[in-house]
Amino acid sequence: MAVSAPTAPDAGKRRRDVRRTAVVLGIIAAAFYVGFIVMMVWRATR
Amino acid sequence: MAYNDHAADAHDHDAHDHKPHGWRRWVYATNHKDIGTMYLVFAGISFFIGGSMAMLIRLELFKPGMQFLDPQFFNSMTTMHALEMIFGAVMPAWTGLANWMIPMQVGAPDMALPRLNNFSFWILPFAFTLLLATLFVPGGGPAGGWTMYPPLMLQGGAGFPMTIFAIHMMGISSILGAINVVVTIMNLRAPGMTLLRMPLFVWTWLITAYLLIAVMPVLAGAVTMLLTDHFFGTTFFTAAGGGDPVMFQHIFWFFGHPEVYILILPAFGIVSEIIPTFSRKPLFGYEAMVYATASIAFLSFIVWAHHMFTVGMPLAGQLFFMLSTMLIAIPTGVKVFNWTATMYKGSLSFEPPMLFALSFLFLFTIGGLSGLMLAIVPADYQYQDTYFVVAHFHYVLVPGAVFAIMGGIYYWLPKWTGNMYDQTLAKWHFWLSTIFVNVLFFPQHFLGLAGMPRRIPDYAVQFTDWNQVSSIGGFAFGLSQFLFPYIIWKCVRGGVRIGNRAWEGAHGLEWELPSPPPFHSWTEPPSLALIQRGAAH
Repeated sequence: MAVSAPTAPDAGKRRRDVRRTAVVLGIIAAAFYVGFIVMMVWRATR
Repeated sequence: MAYNDHAADAHDHDAHDHKPHGWRRWVYATNHKDIGTMYLVFAGISFFIGGSMAMLIRLELFKPGMQFLDPQFFNSMTTMHALEMIFGAVMPAWTGLANWMIPMQVGAPDMALPRLNNFSFWILPFAFTLLLATLFVPGGGPAGGWTMYPPLMLQGGAGFPMTIFAIHMMGISSILGAINVVVTIMNLRAPGMTLLRMPLFVWTWLITAYLLIAVMPVLAGAVTMLLTDHFFGTTFFTAAGGGDPVMFQHIFWFFGHPEVYILILPAFGIVSEIIPTFSRKPLFGYEAMVYATASIAFLSFIVWAHHMFTVGMPLAGQLFFMLSTMLIAIPTGVKVFNWTATMYKGSLSFEPPMLFALSFLFLFTIGGLSGLMLAIVPADYQYQDTYFVVAHFHYVLVPGAVFAIMGGIYYWLPKWTGNMYDQTLAKWHFWLSTIFVNVLFFPQHFLGLAGMPRRIPDYAVQFTDWNQVSSIGGFAFGLSQFLFPYIIWKCVRGGVRIGNRAWEGAHGLEWELPSPPPFHSWTEPPSLALIQRGAAH
C-alpha cells in the first residue's frame, strides 16, 4: 500500500495549536477546580 | 548477550547542546529530560521517606502491645506513609517517566509547555516540606488516614490546614503536569505518528492525564470543604449542623478510585513496552489494549462506592457498585491475556526489566483477584477495614505500580545514560524485592481474614506470628531497596557503553536516538520509515 509522506506543520501553526489546547484544558481544569470550591462555599452560605 | 554494546553510533552531542550548567540547569530547567530526572529523584527521596515510615509501622507491629511509638504518632505514620507514597513517590515517578519518554516516543523536541513543566515540578518540594513539617507542629501530623474522613480529620491540630494546603499544591502540580502531557501528545507528535501508532506508554499516560484533570479538582473541593468546616463554621460534614459525614466519603472516593487507576495505568503502558521487547514479538492485540485502557478509565468513575459498602446504602446501590466493579475485571483480563499471548512462542530472555514485568504480571493479578473478592458485597462486610484490604492494595501498588516503575527505569536507564548498568546487581535487587514483598504482604491476607483490623498500633496475641513474618519481610524488602539507587548511581558514573538500541528486541522512536539522547530530543521530526519501524505492533 502506498503511503504518502506526511508533511510537518509549520512552527507558527504548531505554536497556535499548542496554545489553544493548553488554554482550553487550563480553562476546563480551572473551572472544575475553582468552580467546585466556589459552588460548595456558595451553597454553604445560603 | 541480550543488549547491544556497539558504541559505534554513539555521538557526542554535548558540543552543540547549549545546556545551562550548575544549579541554574536545575532551578530554571525547561528541558524535559532534566525535569524528568528531577521528578524521578524527588520520587526516589519520597519513596525512602515513606518507606522509613513503613519501617516504623512494621517495627511497632512486630509484637503485640505498645513498644516504640505513641498511638497518635503511629496513626500519623500510617497517614503520612500513604500520602508520601501516593502523591510523593508513585505519581511523581510516573510524571518523571512521562517527561523523559513521551517527547522521545512521539518524535517531539521537548514537552509542549516547558516553563509550566518547571513550575509543576517545583511546587512539589514545597508541598512535601509543608506536609512533613506537620510532624513538628502542635497536634502532630495528620492522623486520620490518607482518606481524611471527617469527623476524625477535623480533630487535627495545627497540622490540619498545612495538610490541606499541601494537598492543594500537589493537586495543582498534578493538573499542570497532566495538561502538559495532553498538549504534548495532541500537538507535538511527529508527522505520521498517528494516535494508533503511539506506544502504549504514551496511550496510557494520555488517558491518565485526562483522569487527573477530571478528578484532582474533586479532591481539592473535598479538602476545601473540610477546611471551611474546621475554620469557617460550615457544616458540610457535621451532622449537628445538618451536614453528612458520609457525603465526604462519596466525594473522596469519586476522586479516590480513579486515583487508583492514575497510579496503575502507566504501569500497564510500561509492561506493554517491556514484554514485547524481551519476547522479541510485537504486542498481541495493540488496539484491544488501547480500548481496554480507555474502558478501565471510564469504569473507574462508576465504582467509587465499593469502598463504602459497610457505610450503608440501598440494596440497588450495593448491587450496582458490586457489578460495575466486577466489570473492570474484563478489560483488565484482556490486558493480562494479551501480555501472556505476547510471550507465547516468543524468544524470551530474562533481563531485569523483563523480570520486573513478569513479577508485575503475577503479583498484580493477585492484587486484582483480591480486589474482586472485596467487590462482593456480603464478603466485603467481613473484609472491610481489615489487613486483607491492606494486603490487597499493597499488592496492586508495590509489585504493581512500584515494580513497573523499577522495570521502566531498568528498561530505559541505558538509553538515558548511554551505559549498561550492573545486571547482576539488578537481578539481586529483583529477586530480593520479589521474595520479600511476598513475605511482607502475603501474610497480611491471613491476618485480615482472621479479623485483624487495619490502622491499629496494637493487636490481639493470636495475630503475632504472621505479623512477625510480615515485619521481617518488610525490613528485608526495605533494606534491599538500597541496591536500587546504588545501581543507578553506578550506571550514571559509567559502565559498558551501549548503542542506540539498548535491547535487541526494542522498538520505538526512543531507540532511534543516540544513547544518551541529545539535550533536545527530536529537533528534526523522524521520518515516516522510522515511525513505522518503531510502531511494529
